[in-house]
Amino acid sequence: MTFAWILRRARRQAVSARRALWAAAGSFLVLGLVSGVAVLGLRATRGWMSTVGQGVHVIAFLRDDVQPDQAAQLVDLLRLRPGVSRVRLVEPAEALARLRDAARPLPAAGSWLDDLEPGYFPRSIEVALVASADLSQRATELSRRLRGLAAVADVDAMTDGVARLAAWVRFGQRLGWAVVLAAGIAALSFLVSTVLRGREARRRQAQVLVILGETAGNVSLPANIALAAAGLAGALAALVVLRIAWPTLLTAVERAMGIVPTPTGFFLGFWESAAGLLAAPLLGWMLGYLSTPVPGGVDA
Amino acid sequence: MIWLEGVSYLRAGSPALADLTLGVSRGELVVVQGPTGSGKSSLLAVAAGFREPDSGAVWIAERNIAGLQASSLPYVRRNVGYLPPLPLLIPDENVLENIMLALAVRGQPIDSAEADARESLAMVADSAWENRLARSLSTGQQRLVALARALVGPPPLVVVDEPAAGMGGDDREGIVRALVWARERGCAVLCATSDPSFAQMLVDAGGRRVNLEGGRIVGAPAIGLVPTPVDFPDMDEPENADLAEAIRPSDRSSSGEESA
Repeated sequence: MTFAWILRRARRQAVSARRALWAAAGSFLVLGLVSGVAVLGLRATRGWMSTVGQGVHVIAFLRDDVQPDQAAQLVDLLRLRPGVSRVRLVEPAEALARLRDAARPLPAAGSWLDDLEPGYFPRSIEVALVASADLSQRATELSRRLRGLAAVADVDAMTDGVARLAAWVRFGQRLGWAVVLAAGIAALSFLVSTVLRGREARRRQAQVLVILGETAGNVSLPANIALAAAGLAGALAALVVLRIAWPTLLTAVERAMGIVPTPTGFFLGFWESAAGLLAAPLLGWMLGYLSTPVPGGVDA
Repeated sequence: MIWLEGVSYLRAGSPALADLTLGVSRGELVVVQGPTGSGKSSLLAVAAGFREPDSGAVWIAERNIAGLQASSLPYVRRNVGYLPPLPLLIPDENVLENIMLALAVRGQPIDSAEADARESLAMVADSAWENRLARSLSTGQQRLVALARALVGPPPLVVVDEPAAGMGGDDREGIVRALVWARERGCAVLCATSDPSFAQMLVDAGGRRVNLEGGRIVGAPAIGLVPTPVDFPDMDEPENADLAEAIRPSDRSSSGEESA
C-alpha cells in the first residue's frame, strides 16, 4: 500500500470511527492536563516550600531613631537567647530589594516600585527559632518580650501562619499526587478501553486486508496514524489549556493561601513541552497495534 | 500457471486433500465440482496461499510457495484474487472502497483504482451499490461485491469459492460472464462449486470440469491445456522486487524441489 493509500485509509478510519477517535483525543487531553498539572504543581509547591523553609518565625521592626550599632547589639543579644537558631539584621535597602523582587511579576506592579526609596522601610531583625513542638508558643513569648523593648516599633510573629502554610502545602502535595495518580489511571484506562472497544470491528478489516495480501505491518498502519494524530491533538490542546488556565489557577491558589504570587511566566519549559508532544503521539502509535488484531492466517 | 503437485492437507486431523495434483494454465478456467466436504474449499485455500499443505508443492509463477515464510506470503496473496467461502468485506466501508482495497494493496494509484473498481462492480453487480455501506448489503450482494474485488485488476490468478451460492439466474449468468472475462484477459481461473448446474454453465462457457471426492480428483485429467506460465509480474523489474524477494528460490521446500 502506498503512502497516499495509507493516508486515505487513515482518513476514512478517522471519519468512520470519529466518536472513538474523539474519545481517544479527549483521553489524551486529560492525560496531558494531568501530567502538566503534576509537573507544574510539583514545581509550584517546591517554590512554596522553599519560601516556607526560610524559617523566619519572628520579625522585629526597629524604630527609625535606632542607630546601626544599637541594632547590632540587639542582634547579638538575641543570638545568645536559647532556642534561637538564626538572627539576621535586614537593612532598608535589602527590604526594598525583596519587595521589588516579590512584586515585579504582579500585573499591578508599575513604575511606583521604582519610585520607592529605602528610607520608606524600617530596619528589621529576622529571628528563626529551633524547630520543636512548642515553636508557636516560644515565638509568641519572644514576640511579647521584643514588643517590650524601646528600640522595637512593631513585631510580626509569623509562626502560626508559616507553620499552617507549610502543613497545608505538605497536605496539598500529598492530596495532589493522589488526585494526579487517580486521574492519570482513569484517563489511561478510558483511553485503552476506547481503543479496545473498536478492536472487534477492526478485526474484520484486518482479515480483509490479509486476504488481499497486505503485510502485517501495514494492516495496523492506518490505526497507528489515526491514534497518533489523536494523541498529538490531545497533547496540543492540553498545552493550550494549561497555558491559558494555569497562571489563573496558580494565582487563585496562591492568593487563597496568602503567598506572594509566582511570576506569570512560570510554565512548562521547551523540552518539557516537546517531550509531551512526542510522548502522546508515540503512545497513540503503540495503541494502534493494540487496536488492530492481525490474524496470522485466514480461516474464512 | 498454478500447479499443485502431490498436495495433501489435513483438516482437524482428517485428510481434506490426499495426494492431489492439479494445474491451471494461463487463460484457463477450471471448475472444481464436488459435494460438501469433498475438500474444495481446502483446495482453493491452499492454491491461494492461505493454508500450507502438509505435503506436496504449490507452484505459482514457477515458484513453490508451500515452503514460504509467513512474512513472504502477502506478496504472493496480493497477486491472487481470492473469494473465500464466506465473503469478507469491511462493513463500515462502502462497496467501491471495499473493491478498491485490492488495488490499494497492489500499490495502484487511487484514480485508476477507482475506475477499475467501478468496471469490476458493473460487471458482476449493480453499479448503484457503489456508495452503499457493505453492512447494508444482503449476504448474496456481499458475495457479488467480494467477487468483484477478487476480479478487479484483474490479478494473474483468480481463485473463487462458491461464487454463485444462493444466487438467482441473472446473477449466475453475470458471474459466468465475469469469470470468462477474467480468463480472456489471461488469468488462470480456479472456481469451486457444489452446484452441478452452475458447474455446467461454466463448462458450457469454455471451462474445464474437475470432480473432487474425498480430497481426490476423480474421473477427469488433472491437467487440461499444455501448462504455460501465468503472466505474473516480471521478477526482474525493480517494482516487483518485493514479490521476487518473497518467492525467491531459497524459500523452496526440499520436497518441492525434488518434485520439480
